[in-house]
Amino acid sequence: MAEQTVNIPQTLVFVILFILALRWYFSRPTPGATPPTGTRGVAPTLNRGVRINPVQVETVAQMFPDANRRSIMWDLQRNGGNVTATVERLVEGRGLDTPPQSFQPPTLRTSNPTSRTAAPLPKPAHPDLITRYNLSSKIGTEPSSSLPQSDVPKKAWSADKNERQQMLQRRRDDMILAARRKLEEKEKAINSEVGS
Amino acid sequence: MANPASKRLFKEYRGLSSDPPEGITAGPVTEDDMFLWEALIQGPEGTPFEGGIFPAELKFPKDYPLAPPTMRFTCEMWHPNVYQNGTVCISILHPPGDDPNHYEHASERWSPIQSVEKILISVMSMLAEPNDESPANVDAARMWRERRKEYERIVRGNVRKGLGL
Repeated sequence: MAEQTVNIPQTLVFVILFILALRWYFSRPTPGATPPTGTRGVAPTLNRGVRINPVQVETVAQMFPDANRRSIMWDLQRNGGNVTATVERLVEGRGLDTPPQSFQPPTLRTSNPTSRTAAPLPKPAHPDLITRYNLSSKIGTEPSSSLPQSDVPKKAWSADKNERQQMLQRRRDDMILAARRKLEEKEKAINSEVGS
Repeated sequence: MANPASKRLFKEYRGLSSDPPEGITAGPVTEDDMFLWEALIQGPEGTPFEGGIFPAELKFPKDYPLAPPTMRFTCEMWHPNVYQNGTVCISILHPPGDDPNHYEHASERWSPIQSVEKILISVMSMLAEPNDESPANVDAARMWRERRKEYERIVRGNVRKGLGL
């Protein structure tokens, strides 16, 4: 009776051995390509961005069109260009980590030089509007002297392209300067109230 | 100015210039490319955004107005419905049928009868009244809900920073 029941510990050991054997068998072909752990340490980390091979990125991207290219690059860069590892992650549905905001793959940067704002990457710091539109020289000027106010709303559209551009720019500048003046006055008022 | 998208955008530009809505300035960065606009939105009164001017860029698809533009604030923006990178997430910028969570009614979403002006006005009222249901910035949403004073302090700080004060 006792001899016929399945020996649980033995079965467990067998299953574990079987899994280990399988894993060993499937991982054998990869070391020839790139041992992932080795390259990570040895990688010339001076300029890590350079290490991304666009061909590898393309390979992965073609297999998984839905995967984000930046994430692919990020994963490839971290695992030392091991395409198999990246593909495995995607196949197993583990997904790729989101690259940090600071990560700027070189291939992405050069691929669209036409767009003014490069990629839709978050900018860590934004210049204030005064710096951005070069308005520091106009800050001190009075509103009445910088523009004849009644003139603006009347003539808001022109047949001339350049004139239109200028008018838009002026409306924009005026809006910013007026807001700044108003806020400054408000703060001055608050400060004097506190002071008195 | 050949294709219908440019034509339509030009018409909207003209409308917005001739009769600009209160607190909004918008137009193409350069008329050579009608598909990239820049907009300034004034912070609505009675909110912590009051007094501020918030710049944003609008990128239009080639098949506008069939598809909506994307809008991204190019300033510091701490708001439940604005992603950390500045991208605005509101229903009017979502094409119909693109809402897997069914948060929004089809009527609130993008359709060719909407316009740049409507988008900008919607964004303005979004500043005043964040939509808590599907926050783009979870941290800002939580702060808005639980620590309103702190949220308002950050927003006011951004208002001053944006104007170079």
